[in-house]
Amino acid sequence: MLDIKNLHVKLADEDREILKGLSLTVKPGEVHAIMGPNGSGKSTLSYVLAGREGYEVTEGAATLNGEDVLALEPNERAAKGLFLAFQYPIEIPGVATMQFLKVALNAQRKARGEKELSVPDFMRLVKDRAQKLNVTQEMLKRPVNVGFSGGEKKRAEILQMAVLEPSLCILDETDSGLDIDALRVVAEGVNALRSPDRAMVVITHYQRLLDYIVPDVVHVMANGRIVRTGGKELAKELEARGYAEYVEAAE
Amino acid sequence: MTTAAPAAVLTPAEMAIGTPLPSRRQEDWKWTDLRRRIETPYERAAAVADAARVAKLIAADPLAKLPLRRVVFVNGVLDRTHSDLAGLTLTTGAPDLTEDEPLATMNATLADAAVTLAISGAADRPLHLMFLTLADTPAAVGARVHVSVADGAALHLIESHRGVGQYLANPALSLALGKGAAVNRAKLELEDAAATHLAIADMTLAAHAVLRDFTLTSGAALNRQNGRVTFAGEGADARVTGAYLLGGSQHADTRLVVDHQVPRCVSREVFKCVMDGAARGVFQGKVIVARDAQKTDGKQSSHALLLSEQAEFDAKPELEIYADDVVCGHGATSGDLDHDHMFYLMSRGIPHDEAKAMLIAAFVGEVFDGVDHEGLKGVLTAFAENWLATHTR
Amino acid sequence: MADQDTIDLVKDIDVDKYKYGFTTDIEQEFAPRGLSEEVIRFISAKKNEPDWMLDWRLHAYRRWLDMVEPTWAKVSYPPIDFQSLYYYAAPKNVAGPKSLDEVDPKLLETYAKLGIPLKEQEILAGVRKQGEKSHLEEEGGTSMPVAVDAVFDSVSVVTTFKEELKKAGVIFCSISEALRDHPDLVKKYLGSVVPQGDNFYAALNAAVFSDGSFVYVPPNTRCPMELSTYFRINAKNTGQFERTLIIADKGSYVSYLEGCTAPTREETQLHAAVVELIALEGAEIKYSTVQNWYPGDKDGKGGVYNFVTKRGDCREAHAKISWTQVETGSAITWKYPSCILRGDHARGEFYSIAISNGRQQVDSGTKMIHLGKHTSSRIISKGIAAGHSDNTYRGLVSAHRKALHARNFTQCDSLLIGDKCGAHTVPYLEAKTSTAQFEHEATTSKISDDQMFYVMSRGLSEEEAVALIVNGFVRDVLQQLPMEFMAETQKLIGISLEGSVG
Repeated sequence: MLDIKNLHVKLADEDREILKGLSLTVKPGEVHAIMGPNGSGKSTLSYVLAGREGYEVTEGAATLNGEDVLALEPNERAAKGLFLAFQYPIEIPGVATMQFLKVALNAQRKARGEKELSVPDFMRLVKDRAQKLNVTQEMLKRPVNVGFSGGEKKRAEILQMAVLEPSLCILDETDSGLDIDALRVVAEGVNALRSPDRAMVVITHYQRLLDYIVPDVVHVMANGRIVRTGGKELAKELEARGYAEYVEAAE
Repeated sequence: MTTAAPAAVLTPAEMAIGTPLPSRRQEDWKWTDLRRRIETPYERAAAVADAARVAKLIAADPLAKLPLRRVVFVNGVLDRTHSDLAGLTLTTGAPDLTEDEPLATMNATLADAAVTLAISGAADRPLHLMFLTLADTPAAVGARVHVSVADGAALHLIESHRGVGQYLANPALSLALGKGAAVNRAKLELEDAAATHLAIADMTLAAHAVLRDFTLTSGAALNRQNGRVTFAGEGADARVTGAYLLGGSQHADTRLVVDHQVPRCVSREVFKCVMDGAARGVFQGKVIVARDAQKTDGKQSSHALLLSEQAEFDAKPELEIYADDVVCGHGATSGDLDHDHMFYLMSRGIPHDEAKAMLIAAFVGEVFDGVDHEGLKGVLTAFAENWLATHTR
Repeated sequence: MADQDTIDLVKDIDVDKYKYGFTTDIEQEFAPRGLSEEVIRFISAKKNEPDWMLDWRLHAYRRWLDMVEPTWAKVSYPPIDFQSLYYYAAPKNVAGPKSLDEVDPKLLETYAKLGIPLKEQEILAGVRKQGEKSHLEEEGGTSMPVAVDAVFDSVSVVTTFKEELKKAGVIFCSISEALRDHPDLVKKYLGSVVPQGDNFYAALNAAVFSDGSFVYVPPNTRCPMELSTYFRINAKNTGQFERTLIIADKGSYVSYLEGCTAPTREETQLHAAVVELIALEGAEIKYSTVQNWYPGDKDGKGGVYNFVTKRGDCREAHAKISWTQVETGSAITWKYPSCILRGDHARGEFYSIAISNGRQQVDSGTKMIHLGKHTSSRIISKGIAAGHSDNTYRGLVSAHRKALHARNFTQCDSLLIGDKCGAHTVPYLEAKTSTAQFEHEATTSKISDDQMFYVMSRGLSEEEAVALIVNGFVRDVLQQLPMEFMAETQKLIGISLEGSVG
């Protein structure tokens, strides 16, 4: 599904390389965890895949279902099924959450040549997904992420994911800022979306999240590259021993 | 630093209008130099006799379908044929405007059919003052309307300003709110693209009066609006808002003075200015708090969104404060669309232009939402959607 | 309510507590009273200036004759009779700056009384015994010697630490000396930021300026000590027109501080200075002012009219100029230290505390002119009005069409103490490019009853509470001052507000 080969990325207005030849293959139905210390390039990877400006790909390729994902606009990538749950969801004053969800869903459906969802169908869909994630009607009435607590923002991200039903979900530090109850709700929401044709990339600093979202594959990222790959037991090992040896080895 | 002697020789445009025009050497006009910008000699407009033309223009008004009590002014003169005057207290003449400034002088010269409307009790329908200008040749039009709202009375007042041709419209509205009166005023400036709109809104609040004011500025090539809110009685409350939707080479300048003369009044001003193309928006807001106006709560903010590199915004948010027990403040920002907002929306599948339109609509939404009339809000939203459709690429 | 007392006390405001109001009885030499080409020739001749300098002055004078005084500031004062002033006054027997041993002991005494020791060994030792740490050092600050240029009326009387600075290649001397020893540098930069005809007072200054400081910091040099000029008006009916020129060459850094006082006199005194700063590529100039000219008495009699033009030019890429000012003195202040952000990535800063009391009138602020790409600026202004004073912030932030990605942040806060004063904010914003991001915020308020109550409930007196809250209010700006002057300034703020609470 996702195929990244030798990806090199630098900041557009600085001569600093962040990703230094990263390769990664994710197949449908798999959940991959990418773990690594701060500054290893985890968030850059998620931003580059989602198409944020400010980065320059100098070498390598990334394809989604065989299609060059890096050549697409962010909205086109979304329509192809890519979804990024932001580490820091953006607050957008004045744009109502419901309107935002409806426009986003219908834009994606339109791009895929599907029919727009009727208002009652859409309302039903959102209500159903929101209930499962403890997202209140009151939250849905507010502008996008405005006035949300840290935990509410993360739940709202997963709600968007549940409504938009992407095929590739990238979760960037979704556990940061969550207390244990909120973490459980979010993880349940994510687990409910696991399916044979959906892949997930879970980016995290701590092993904690992976107790709830159990990965098939764990990668260790350091200095802009994947330096080790293993099973879920690798996460436990990292928790016990830290990243120091990988950081040193990568430099 | 040399100061120029007052312009002794009138320009042809000044001679035609009959008053000198302010220039950038006058502090309040530094960004809108009418003397330089108005070159056309606008002749005094003739009364329009062709009722069919007027009827056609009225029918095309975006507010035409709303259940409003319509009072129509054509080329500055009350058009009784097309107005719904039954049960309305209407007299000729109007009191002097509060401020003696260049546009007031101009209005005194141009407007010779002043009208006063007296409102008491709760009005049955919103009052729609429709100002229309029809100019076959360059024409100058002055209108003068005074609306007095009795103690405890309530009124929805909607103004629309439209026209056809190249003209200079100089409408002056004064509004006196009696004790405890409540007025919701909305103005839609939708003049012809070739027009010049030089307006006055002079509003005075008696004790405990409440004013909600909104102005949409989107028409005319050259626009200047002088607003004034005077707090004359304690405990009054005014919220004055505005939105600019400008493109091409449009120029709009709002000078808004909020004058707290008495204690314990609250004022809020919020202006959201969107400029595309090579348009230039100006906002000059001034909050004055007199020595005795203790416990004043006054805040103003102006925010500009520049959609193109050639667009410009100038602001002068001024505070002049002589009382100490006050809470006053202002904020002003200018910039282009937030790139993080754009990315977030697009990452959810929303195409670029649509995302941009959503963000602009959200930007002006704050002031649209304050409009307390569903029908009017619908008209505004539709207008904005239409405007955005042509300004989001 | 505790505040009623405050208000009552403000009514009895006493600004006659000016601590620097003494005069020095010293024999002085004057130019003939009034202004004419002859007087300008006299000044120029006194200073043995080259012909080009005299021509430059005369050109300025002729421009000035055609100009009228600016009237846009929110200040009012009776017309100034420019012919009744002396444009040049100098202590006798001081032809130019001398070594310390030759300086009239009376002058040394004057500066000592003002708290400005000019003897280098004293500065080195400070008021403490050798080896003893100052409380600043104990708090983690560093205390280093400060080189001083002392200007008494029209002339520089002494400049300290010249030799030490010379070793680093830094030129620090009076502008008269610079004209003699470094004419090419002066000729190249003088008037390049504030031209002769820039404004009425700048033109007057260009015609008659008598002295001031000159600084040149060579490329890639960090000036080894703080530089400072101490201005003192002493003579009666004398205008002071100093001119300061600071050039920071590529990659250099200099921090400069000026202080000013004047005797208590019934007549007003005119001070029309010009300061020009030039920062070349990657250079940084930090310019701090503690202005404490005589403010006049409580009825507004006397005091200094402080009409100055200060402007910095970030002429090349990555240059930075930072203005910090503490304005507590002068009857009238008309002052807008500005930055021209010409080079790409240049940065300008303006930090200001302006305190007015009695009948003082302050109209001050800054201009940030963004011309280069990615230029940024920051303005923090704290105005405090008490007594019958008026305190106006006036500022301009503009981004030229080519100033892509310019950034400005402005915060302007005013505090009113008492109900007979006024605080005003007159900012101008001009964005000629969509890529410029401007953010401006302003607030006006009084010290809140809650704050006063809270602080006093912890045992502080009303006066202490006000001082504490005001010091908190201005903290963001205080922190910008060189460590050596922070404590001094805090004290000065207390003194300036004395009488506003008792």
